[in-house]
Amino acid sequence: MTPHILLIDDEAALVAVLEPVLAAAGYHVTTAFAGASALAQAVRVAPDVILLDLGLPDMDGKDVITTLRSTIDTPIIVISARHQESEKIAALDEGADDYVDKPFEIGVLMARIRVALRRRPSEDGGLFRSGPLTIDFEKRGVQLEGHTLRLSPKEYALLVTLARSGGQVVTHKRLLAAGWAPNTADTQYLRVYIGLLRQKIEADPSDPRLLLTEPGVGYRLIVTEG
Amino acid sequence: MWDFRALHIVKPVVALPPFRAFLLTVAIIVASSAIAFSLRSERGEVAGALIFVLGITLAGALSGLAAGVFAAMATFLLYNFYFAEPVLTFRLSTGSDIMPLIVFNLCALVAGVLAGRLKDRARAADAANARLSSLFETSRALQSALARRDMIATLEREALKAGIRVRVADTAEADHARFSPGEQDCIDQALARRDAYVRHEGLVGYCLEGGGSVVGVMLLSEADAARCEPAFLAALANLAALSIERAALSERVAVQTANARTEELKSVLLSSVSHDLRTPLATISASASSLLAYGDRLDGNVSCAMLTGIVEECDRLDRYTGNLLELTRIEAGQSGESWQILAVPDVISSVLRRVRARLGDRRVSRQDDDTELLVRADASLFELALSNVIENAALYSPNGSLVRIASRREGAICRIEIADEGMGVAPDELERIFERFYRGRGSSARRSGSGLGLAIAKGFVEALGGSIAASVPGIGARGTCFTIRVPLGKAT
Repeated sequence: MTPHILLIDDEAALVAVLEPVLAAAGYHVTTAFAGASALAQAVRVAPDVILLDLGLPDMDGKDVITTLRSTIDTPIIVISARHQESEKIAALDEGADDYVDKPFEIGVLMARIRVALRRRPSEDGGLFRSGPLTIDFEKRGVQLEGHTLRLSPKEYALLVTLARSGGQVVTHKRLLAAGWAPNTADTQYLRVYIGLLRQKIEADPSDPRLLLTEPGVGYRLIVTEG
Repeated sequence: MWDFRALHIVKPVVALPPFRAFLLTVAIIVASSAIAFSLRSERGEVAGALIFVLGITLAGALSGLAAGVFAAMATFLLYNFYFAEPVLTFRLSTGSDIMPLIVFNLCALVAGVLAGRLKDRARAADAANARLSSLFETSRALQSALARRDMIATLEREALKAGIRVRVADTAEADHARFSPGEQDCIDQALARRDAYVRHEGLVGYCLEGGGSVVGVMLLSEADAARCEPAFLAALANLAALSIERAALSERVAVQTANARTEELKSVLLSSVSHDLRTPLATISASASSLLAYGDRLDGNVSCAMLTGIVEECDRLDRYTGNLLELTRIEAGQSGESWQILAVPDVISSVLRRVRARLGDRRVSRQDDDTELLVRADASLFELALSNVIENAALYSPNGSLVRIASRREGAICRIEIADEGMGVAPDELERIFERFYRGRGSSARRSGSGLGLAIAKGFVEALGGSIAASVPGIGARGTCFTIRVPLGKAT
């Protein structure tokens, strides 16, 4: 079945580019130029992925996310020219799944769409695979190139949280909630534990390829394709 | 604080009883003589003498020492002439007749000294009261003054009301023209020595200390300084120091507020610039990378449209870059250095010429009550603020509708109104539309606003010390009205 993408952006020139390219990449595309029509389209066409620009003429993009999330859990990828971390965090907190900064290369957008369309591993079972890394959620086992890794409970909790959103950004707030009691930890702890994790899963911890930093926002566990 | 007591050289002089005191004394002498005479025949000589003593005491108590002594001498002569044997002569028959003279004079002396002291006290209390109320008046007057210059003028005026000619020099604002060479010398000496006070050619200069440094010098003549209590001068100097310090502080606060506003404006501009630059870049990057990755799968027409899009967006980028240069010029315009006197109707005309293309078929009506309506502002800053508001009116109103621009004087304020017949703004959005990236609920996809125009206009108008507000309706029952208020400038 052809995945359906709802593209919401008021920038006509960009929509004119993305619509045919997404179609050429094998997606069915519906476009909306404003928040109100986007909300109506989201209900009507039941898209598989929503691409959303935050700067809409009629309403704030964050409000669009909030309204969408009250009814559907379709993956939302924010595309925005506003690069402030606070904007990104706010959008992610409202329920967006990922974001892409404008300007972007089409390859990056396509990769994010594929990640969003990927079936999530279920809560209590399944495997996560990315390059040399394998996580067996059922057995609570982590392997790197076939060798079992010994992780502390906090390290494991962080890795699982990142893996469940494999390929997508996870905010500091969500990561902290996974490993620490509410209001007891700050991002400093997080930095330390991410460093420990990198020591164990990265070939070169100073040049991470799997566990990437999204400055000011959070971390992303890369999913290698193919 | 400094101690001014050493300066106090001349004691307050007890003034002589004026003419009325003299008349009162004479009246008392006449009255006591009359009573003494009438009593002598019935009650004897002693009763008469006591009445005289009473008269002398009264005269001394009411009119002071000099009057008392005068009354004592006069009464003694009367007593000697009419009462003492031999009567009707000034000759004393016995040595004991000298007694009344001594007693009279002692009474006069005691009463007079007591009365004199009382008077002095009362006068001193009056003077202290007057100084106190003048200090109070001064401090009250100073509260309404904010600028250092006003503060000093108020201080000098209030001191003059209290009868003291005071000049105050502010160390931060060297205004040499105000002071004579002699005064300037005294100020320089006071500042050089940093003592409590210095004397120089009949002048006394007090150092005004505030916040650990000398903030100014208070000058007055030596004669004036001698007339006032040291405590009063200390209080006056203290008040002067405090008010100069307060003025300096409020000036510093004003500068910091302006800086904060500049910072806010800078960040609005920066996000505007980065947003405006990234939007065309996004299209260019997406097109070029799509052509690279999917070129073989794309229809020929689509590829061609993408290439055209790249060219067009490059053009747009170039225009933004031009605007950027304009913006840096405007950044410089906030400092106030480039501010000049501008005639508002002229500025509106020039803005209208610039935005003509974007107004489309919309009609513009002008109403300028005063062609000489002047403001002091940076020309490009003011123009950009106005053009942003006018463009906003064009953006949210239909083609063929009316945009009305009016300017008029409103007290010390220049008021500019820009009203349209557009879709208007919901009452709860009237303030939010000035927020960054906020666009009214009614705006549709076709409006190409970035959500920054009004935020920038607000920033610029506030940088000019003015305000901007939106209200509904604009014209008739439709649209929006934007009111800009900027302080009037004076022609130079």
